[in-house]
Amino acid sequence: MKESSRFDAGLAPGRVLAAVLLSGIVLLAGMAGPLLAQGYTPPTYGADAPFVGSRAAVWIVAQVHLMFAAFVLGVPMFAVIAEAIGIWGKDARYDKLAKEFTRLLLVAYSATALLGGLFVFLLTTLYPALWSYMSEVFRISMWIYAGLFFAESATLYIYYYGWDHWKAGRAKLGHWGMGILLNVWGTVVMFIANSWLTFMMSPPGDLTPDTAPATVQFWSAFANATWMPINIHRLIANAVFGGAVVAAYAGYRFLKATSDEERAHYDWMGYVGNFIAIGVFLVLPFAGYYLGREIYEYNQQMGVTMMGGFMSWLWIVQAFLIGILFLAGNYYLWLGLGRIPGGERFAPYTKWMLLILVLGVIVWATPHSMIADREELAAMGGTHHPFLGVLGVMSAKNTAVNLMILTTFLSFLLYRRANKNPTVSWAGTGTMTQGILLAVCAGIVLFYGVYGYFVPAIVRIGFSVYQVLAVLFTIIAVLTLDVLIARGAQSRGAIQWGKMPPRSQYALFVLLVTFTWLMGLMGFARSGIRQHWHVYEVIRDTSEYAATPALGYAAQIISACVLVFLAMISFVFWIGGMIAKPELTTAKAPPGAAPLASTTGNNPDAEPGLGSGLHPAPGH
Amino acid sequence: MGSVDLKIIALVLGTIGFYTLVANAIPQVQSEVPAEADFGADVTAEELVDVGLSLYEGAGGCTACHAESPGARAPNLLTDYRGQGTIGARCGNRVPGLACKDYLHQALSDPTTHLVDEYPPIMPSVARTMDSQQVWAIVAYLESNGGEVTVTAADIQADAVGATGSVAGGAPAGGGAAAGPAVAGEDPVQITQTLCVMCHQIGGQGVALGPPLDGIGSRLSAEQLRTAILDPAASMAVGFEQMSGIMPATFGSQLTAGQLEAVVRHLSGLQ
Repeated sequence: MKESSRFDAGLAPGRVLAAVLLSGIVLLAGMAGPLLAQGYTPPTYGADAPFVGSRAAVWIVAQVHLMFAAFVLGVPMFAVIAEAIGIWGKDARYDKLAKEFTRLLLVAYSATALLGGLFVFLLTTLYPALWSYMSEVFRISMWIYAGLFFAESATLYIYYYGWDHWKAGRAKLGHWGMGILLNVWGTVVMFIANSWLTFMMSPPGDLTPDTAPATVQFWSAFANATWMPINIHRLIANAVFGGAVVAAYAGYRFLKATSDEERAHYDWMGYVGNFIAIGVFLVLPFAGYYLGREIYEYNQQMGVTMMGGFMSWLWIVQAFLIGILFLAGNYYLWLGLGRIPGGERFAPYTKWMLLILVLGVIVWATPHSMIADREELAAMGGTHHPFLGVLGVMSAKNTAVNLMILTTFLSFLLYRRANKNPTVSWAGTGTMTQGILLAVCAGIVLFYGVYGYFVPAIVRIGFSVYQVLAVLFTIIAVLTLDVLIARGAQSRGAIQWGKMPPRSQYALFVLLVTFTWLMGLMGFARSGIRQHWHVYEVIRDTSEYAATPALGYAAQIISACVLVFLAMISFVFWIGGMIAKPELTTAKAPPGAAPLASTTGNNPDAEPGLGSGLHPAPGH
Repeated sequence: MGSVDLKIIALVLGTIGFYTLVANAIPQVQSEVPAEADFGADVTAEELVDVGLSLYEGAGGCTACHAESPGARAPNLLTDYRGQGTIGARCGNRVPGLACKDYLHQALSDPTTHLVDEYPPIMPSVARTMDSQQVWAIVAYLESNGGEVTVTAADIQADAVGATGSVAGGAPAGGGAAAGPAVAGEDPVQITQTLCVMCHQIGGQGVALGPPLDGIGSRLSAEQLRTAILDPAASMAVGFEQMSGIMPATFGSQLTAGQLEAVVRHLSGLQ
């Protein structure tokens, strides 16, 4: 497929501007040191940003930059995995899918760089002293960062423009290797940038306001207490976010599709995107726990501020948002059962799963302690509500979350099983074992949840580990059994891609908006726990914006960020759509479609949607 | 723009608007910057208590742990604790020989010194996030809860002069005071009367937190005295082992070489 020459012409100004801005970053980083060495003292604060003020200006630009960064780091992961399935699964659709998103990546990449440049410009002009301090401490890594950015850009262009050139044999493997390299550059770039922001959050303990930045040991500042937890958390979250954006993009194209073939293609793409988003998302809470634990280890007050201080209600909103993610993700899966022959037999179970999810959200979103005045406190007999307070503790919340994860896994399991008729002799026993494993796991989770009320806090905290381990073990064991049970299974019919009600696609949009909003909220949490410090307990924020705003104001900024990001990413997709139409591929179903039609060799184990043939639903 | 586009825009705006609404509907709490305190020599107990109250309930973040409800993370301060009364009533009895305000100041600046049984050592040093005036204001507020406010301008002044050489040995105030000599001149009597007596007694003057310095010259050599000042944790006086870690290890950076030697000579002369 030939790419339009408009593509290059349209991107050139953005690339040039990005290169200029990046060069500016390097120059500024290089200049800061000599300036300080000469005794230059930059002004503490620069001019205030018009209309919104310095804090909101930096906040919005940084957050939107991060959203784009998450996208351009998440999609390459998505792309190399898809390309690998295409290579080793011999399924051309995945190769096309990977290329389609890499094309969008090119435009998004320029937007990321432009926003990064704007962010640096705002920092240097609005917060010059902070910038000087940071560039003095991190000068080396800033140079490396800028250099890697060029390497990443070059790799991306080679990866994309070499797609059709290196499309077979060893050359294809080499091309895939370029995709891996692209991910390596992106990950290293992210790790470097993470060191700067985590240093502001958790600088080495021996730093004081009097410590000269030139005397700060680079590695202790770089590999600070929260650096690796944030790295891991962001790596996982980026994959989730990339999947969510892909799914929403596919949803839009599905809704605008004019042919069954197109609709089938984008239904499949939406499923794959959502599968990655929700599947990887299930791991994210564990990375979140790790990050939270490291924050407490670093500074108890910071941890308390985060969970029990003025930010305590933020977690209620977070629980509410994650509840919506669970509900929307499961809703999409349940609707998907309708396009799988045999899926209807599982429909009656969905209402019970919905009940568990709703109850889980209610428990999770119950506040631990209420913000109340003295009269209200006296009436309640403390900060805990006399009735709801019982549900607001971690015992109840951990139990709720684990049961929600287990329920979502069950939805996925039913989806997998929908069009299969197992043929192995022990299928019944295996299915019963799966049921027993799930029931025992739920029992373990509930047991420790209830037992947690009768033991001291220090013991109770340990129970969450048992609950998590039980859930992880069950997921792995049940999934392994399911793969074995499905070996040689008969198909009840091929998946009717495209046979999805439009509301299912809108659910994908709710997922994207919620993921994006949640990302903004967590960004506020991470940054806000520093409170009135630029660098925690080292550089105090003495500007008029030093107070950390309440959640209501933060929500308005977050919403603005989400709107700006969605508007910009829509523009990116629009530009991407102008470049070229993706080449749709339709794998022909074998006659009769008795076995699960698959380009991976009629493999009945193949995951619905991840290996089955692409069959437009007739008359749709 | 077709109906699908409009539906998507409406859905996106509706979802974002709903989340914004939810976040605005819940209690709104802003994390304030600790109020700057600038107490003069005539500061009153009421003024100290007022500032202390605002810090305690606001920027200090004290109530996040020192809550009044059962299951709180830290001891309850404003109501009775195990029949010992409120914090102002019980603070003077916590450590024998340590006055209420000194105990509270120490507990705020170096919280690991005196842990309350059953509670984990989670309290951070307030001296890292607040200046000495703010710390003393909180001390005054806590004293006012069931006790008499004994904090005076002299305490604040002494702390300011001593910079990091307070009783509790708190870290430098967050404001970022420039590093340098804690006292001016090389008069050893003035230096010891400014810094040392905050924890040691000389001629009946000062706080009996550490060993008295009377006759110290007959017990320690000049070299031992120098080491004790620069690296207090290197050895502890017999009978004061439980005070290990209290004496700041920062005098090396607070005193000039001339001041240090003057103090060592002066103490060596206390036979």
